[in-house]
Amino acid sequence: MRMRISVRQICFIMLIYTAVSRLILYPTLLSYQSGRDLLFSALIDFAIQTVIVWSVSFLCSKTDKTFFQLIEGTLGNVTARIVYGLFALFFIICAVIPVFEQKVYIHAIFYDTIPSLLVFLPFFFFAVYAASKGFENIGRCADICLPVFAVSLLFILVMSFAEVKWNSFLPVLKMPLKSVLSGSVSTIFRFFEPCWLLMFMGYFKYKKGDALKITLSYAGGALIVLLMLAVFYGIYDEIAASRQFAIAKISLFFPAIEVIGRIDLAALYALEIVMLFALVLNVQLAVHCISECTGFKKKEYISVAVNAVLLLMVIFLDNKFNALHELWSSWMGIVFIVFANVIPLLAWALKRGRND
Amino acid sequence: MVTLEKNIKSVKDVLTSQDIIVFEFDSLQGRKFAVIYADGLADKQLLGELVIKPLRDAESEAGYEEVKRRLALPEVKEGKKIKDAIKEVSDGNAVLFIDGEKDFFIIGLKNPPGRAVVEPPTQVVIKGPREGFTEDIKVNLGLVRKRVKSENLKVKMLKAGKKSDTAVAMVYIDGVCPEGLAERVEKQIAAHEIDIVPDSSYIAQFISGKPRSVFKRNGTTEKPDIFCAKVCEGRLGLIVDGSPIALTVPYMITEDIQAGEDYYANSYRSTVIRLLRVLSLFIGIFLPAMYVSAQLFKTQLIPFQLLLKISSSISGLPLSPSVEMFLTLFVLEVLNEASIRMPKYVGLALSVVGALVLGDTAVKAGIISTPAIIIIAFSAICLYTTPDFVETTTTLRWIFLIISGSLGPFGVVLFSAFLICYLVTEQSYGVPLFAPFAPLIKNDLYDSMVKANMFTLNNRPEVFGLKDKVRLKSK
Repeated sequence: MRMRISVRQICFIMLIYTAVSRLILYPTLLSYQSGRDLLFSALIDFAIQTVIVWSVSFLCSKTDKTFFQLIEGTLGNVTARIVYGLFALFFIICAVIPVFEQKVYIHAIFYDTIPSLLVFLPFFFFAVYAASKGFENIGRCADICLPVFAVSLLFILVMSFAEVKWNSFLPVLKMPLKSVLSGSVSTIFRFFEPCWLLMFMGYFKYKKGDALKITLSYAGGALIVLLMLAVFYGIYDEIAASRQFAIAKISLFFPAIEVIGRIDLAALYALEIVMLFALVLNVQLAVHCISECTGFKKKEYISVAVNAVLLLMVIFLDNKFNALHELWSSWMGIVFIVFANVIPLLAWALKRGRND
Repeated sequence: MVTLEKNIKSVKDVLTSQDIIVFEFDSLQGRKFAVIYADGLADKQLLGELVIKPLRDAESEAGYEEVKRRLALPEVKEGKKIKDAIKEVSDGNAVLFIDGEKDFFIIGLKNPPGRAVVEPPTQVVIKGPREGFTEDIKVNLGLVRKRVKSENLKVKMLKAGKKSDTAVAMVYIDGVCPEGLAERVEKQIAAHEIDIVPDSSYIAQFISGKPRSVFKRNGTTEKPDIFCAKVCEGRLGLIVDGSPIALTVPYMITEDIQAGEDYYANSYRSTVIRLLRVLSLFIGIFLPAMYVSAQLFKTQLIPFQLLLKISSSISGLPLSPSVEMFLTLFVLEVLNEASIRMPKYVGLALSVVGALVLGDTAVKAGIISTPAIIIIAFSAICLYTTPDFVETTTTLRWIFLIISGSLGPFGVVLFSAFLICYLVTEQSYGVPLFAPFAPLIKNDLYDSMVKANMFTLNNRPEVFGLKDKVRLKSK
């Protein structure tokens, strides 16, 4: 099989997409649930995910087969197709909240006055195009995104650091344990990175030590999120729970903004490019799963269909974001636990081996 | 017995034009000869001195072998078919017929009118060689040979154009050029039949694989030193007769932010200049679009004091910001186009009228604001820091302007993401256009946005996957 993505690119994906997909509403929601102990809530989730990411990446060292081939080899072709069909559905579910989140973020941050929904809809043209591309494209986009992400995030963090009041986190762990755990549980639907790795399995050449690199990259992404959470809460303290779009709010108090204008917006716009790629990754993987499930190789058509579903949801559930979010953070969390945590671990039970 | 008249008639029946000259003469022994050539293309002086005079003065019986011996020219070929004679005469060479002989001589006297080797106007340097390619393929090949004396330098001559029969020289270094590349390029050129190939840009479209794309798939240069450096890096060069612009493949976008002078100047200075070019490129493409977006959708993008200035200069303008910017850019493009096409002196007057009178009057009349003119002018200047890329960047500037006027900053961001997504998988002969950034190739980064010193760049670009990687070995 032709290697379509490199370990370096997977590491970049784990590092930057993990971080950017949690910079908009995640800090606000955690602040609301866990207060000053939000870092512990996030830490619990990330610790669990890091273990699973390590588990999947270690599994990659044991086989050069794709996840589909592993299921096919153990449970048969039909089961493999069913599992991939379910994963396709799962990736679409993964994309729903981030799409809505992006929509409200863009409307609020990119425009002085809330524009029409139509302004966001061209996103789906991009998504259709990007999702029809393969893993090679995903990897190379990550290569481009890394410097963009690094420069823009550093820019924003530098502008924010001076305003952080580190004593906001004191006293530590004084919040009830229940609120810390509820913060972890209610945001579990934002954790699905092990599934990305499951899909990349067999499409990259594993070399000794790669599992550690991938895991460390994910941990690096988690650290960036934790830093971001700390900065956000350190600036807004108790009112953090009412401050939406964290990434756009932390650099507001930089003194130079008064003189030179909202230069942080330039970094935010650059970061938005990375966010778009992170968002579209789930759609790309959904398209990949459907293609494997059905054997239909024309990804353009599948991409149109998947994006049409998301588009219809955005149009018809335009004002139902809160209800959707409620749903996702309650029982839908179980779906995420099954697909993103349980199945990746169960993958160890599949017959491994190497392709001829 | 083949008579001289019969041969002349065979040629003249096909080449009926009056500029095809037939000159008949006898030797002292009375042997008849005829020389046929195209007036203005063949070198008449050499013809007279090195062909006609020795044969006319021949005292012995000038037989075929004797004539061959007397022709003291380096480029003499024997011909057998009349159609070859016709082809060579059309090409500018002379054909010598001998009475009673079926075979004839093709004498390489091609000397079409052309300009001298001068510094190319599009790639002027302060430091470094100043020679530039001309329209003559032979001169151009000479300029290449002058710089690359390796026995591995291969020049394969191809023909393109049904009517023009234009010569195309494929130049590469055997063992350095990626395997199979020359065959692929040759096949692509041969796959297209067109009447005339007046310029290398035609060949560029033949070999691009995606002629409808905004992004080109080949490098261009007018300077032999750059051409030779690229060929020595592993690229394949194409020199087209009649064009001073040579092509190179494979191509990467980073090539257009590099200039020949970068390699002759201090590497720190070159790095700064390259970064400046990249910054200028982004400013040139995005500034008009972001200005419109800021005015229409997100005023916070503009510092408050500047916003006050802008608002005072745009108050009372009859046009919306996007239409104003569109109009200003339109005027700039018209002025640019007209100043290139117009006769030199009129062009000078036009630029004064355009830049000073038109601009100043438009501002005073309250049709266009001063910031709009400043932004468009600055954008235009910025884009010309990368002149080889300007066709693409000016097109992109239009697209971004239209998108920003209709969708605002999100449109600009979205289209940028689309461009990245499109470009990362586009290739030029198997080499990604976005290399060495995507896919990331660490060693090649040293000659991309930054320019490392010569000793760091001791290997040829890794992206070409060459067997012979080393270009500099210090002892």
